[in-house]
Amino acid sequence: MMRRLYIPQDTTARAVGADRLAGAWAKEPGLEIVRTSSRGAFYLEPLVETDGPHGRIGWPNAAEHDLSRILRGEGGTPIDTIPFLAGQTRVTFANAGVTRPLSLEDYRAHGGFAGLDAALRLAQEKIIEELSISKLRGRGGAAFPVGRKWQTAYETHADQKYVVANADEGDAGTYCDRMVMEGEPFRLIEGMLIAAYAVGATRGYIYCRYEYPAAVRALREAITILTEAGYLGEGALGCNARGGGGFTLEVFVGAGSYVCGEETALLQSLEGKRGMVQPKPPYPAVSGLYGKPTLISNVLTFATVPSILARGGVWHASLGTEHSKGTIALQIGGRVKQPGLAEVPFGLTVEAAIEEFGGGMATGARFKAVQVGGPLGSLFTKAGLKIRICYDEFARAGAILGHGGIVVFDQETDMVELARHFMAFTADESCGVCTPCRVGSVRAREILDGFAQGRGRPDDLNLLADLGETMKQTSLCALGQRAPYPVLTAIEHFRKEFK
Amino acid sequence: MSRITGILKRTEGCQPNILKTLLAIQSELGHVPPASVPDIAGALGVTDAEVAGVLSGYPDLRTEAPGRYVVRVCQGESCVANHCGRVLKELEKKLGIGLGGTTRDGRFTLEKVYCVGNCAASPTVMIGEDVHGRVTPEAAWALLQDCR
Repeated sequence: MMRRLYIPQDTTARAVGADRLAGAWAKEPGLEIVRTSSRGAFYLEPLVETDGPHGRIGWPNAAEHDLSRILRGEGGTPIDTIPFLAGQTRVTFANAGVTRPLSLEDYRAHGGFAGLDAALRLAQEKIIEELSISKLRGRGGAAFPVGRKWQTAYETHADQKYVVANADEGDAGTYCDRMVMEGEPFRLIEGMLIAAYAVGATRGYIYCRYEYPAAVRALREAITILTEAGYLGEGALGCNARGGGGFTLEVFVGAGSYVCGEETALLQSLEGKRGMVQPKPPYPAVSGLYGKPTLISNVLTFATVPSILARGGVWHASLGTEHSKGTIALQIGGRVKQPGLAEVPFGLTVEAAIEEFGGGMATGARFKAVQVGGPLGSLFTKAGLKIRICYDEFARAGAILGHGGIVVFDQETDMVELARHFMAFTADESCGVCTPCRVGSVRAREILDGFAQGRGRPDDLNLLADLGETMKQTSLCALGQRAPYPVLTAIEHFRKEFK
Repeated sequence: MSRITGILKRTEGCQPNILKTLLAIQSELGHVPPASVPDIAGALGVTDAEVAGVLSGYPDLRTEAPGRYVVRVCQGESCVANHCGRVLKELEKKLGIGLGGTTRDGRFTLEKVYCVGNCAASPTVMIGEDVHGRVTPEAAWALLQDCR
């Protein structure tokens, strides 16, 4: 009898040995190896699974010599009893670790295209209404109401409209977009197809970062498969079912610029230009790529759309808190015991995210601070951990959720060095359009260099605060506006270290 | 130059896209020689300045040929929290080069990268397109020994 082993092929699973296992066991007789996506419980990777009587059985942190044990069924853990996974509300990541990323058959068998089918039965206005009811907000960081964006793109008349997925997941500490693109690219594309139909777009792009070669390959293969299956391409299903011109989709690879994650810079880059931030208005939904109405959203936003159409806007709005509906994909990393992706309804406290999902601190590590929301996110100390993960509470605290990254730092972290690192990042990545960001970030880094070398002056902290305020008030995009926050919160909480 | 001419020929008839063209050249040649800027500009119908502006605007576009193996040590926050600085220091010491440097034998170029999305298995080192996770300073050096 053929025995089946499931081994993830996600980048992180491969980075810790999944390919090595698959390669070593490939020649084993009577063994079928199925490469799936990853469950996102990355602390368990490589996580090898078999079929059990009541669902999958997992062998965490598997090594080559574990094969005989796995085949004998010794010591495995039923996947649904792993607290990290059992405590989550998986919607967008429901199939993570279950299906083969490029199997249309698997995708369909696990609810794929239910959202598109539902959308094609509705008028365009009704789809947009459903999204407005869902209260979905953009998952890239800006949290703009998605329904309103779609409405604008729909109402703007033009001979050509575009749908663009922002896959320039540049926020360090985040990887949920990468997981979608590598693990279930069809879900992203389904969301884009629904969007294209709703707003009347016939061309689309996925702007993916250079650092994600596996995602780029998966997306390109997925597009080929969906084109052959009649979902994509000129005159294909989707928009064409209502007399449109089909939907042609292309992957565009960036070249390492953080600021290209900002939508106006991204669209400049997509045109092949230097990625420079542009003033808004006009908003891309009115005048975007090549001056045409362009619906641009983050990967995770598009990937959330199919389940909203399949299950209804009311269902989505029933999850989360008053102003933050649905689920958030928390990406917990840094010095915790259990780094990985936790999809939960909004409203969990940061403390619970670290303790319940992160499993507390890694062995030998003591908590010092946590940064939420990527490289532009604020730092919190123990005293601030009761804050609930939702847009309004974070806004009130002057913090951001960004793209859902949570990075925990331990007692060995030098806060001056960390602050210097944050500013060096901004100085490296500033596009230069706004002087306060271009020059201010370099000046701030120089001041922090001074502290790092033990020649900080008392007045320097005031100068940093002043510089930060100017950057916040006068920069066009989030890079300049937000860059001071991690630095100023580091100073606020760890002032003694800055001398 | 003839290879560049070949790549430029392929862009004829498409909407001119500077970044896409530069990436195509880099994927074949490993870098974009600055001397080719006027040819690229000519083929795309844009100015030299526009091409040079794009070439200098993206960290991943190279104007010099890198070593056979490009080793990128991640400097994202999760890697920083997991003390990636120690990995970088070890490699700098063992290779005898700093960030941006290439070993004299042309085998390794050492660079930093801000996040490759492997944050749940930090620290991360990327060699070419291969991502390696939970890399200790010793493990990083061992990985380089496998690069022949």
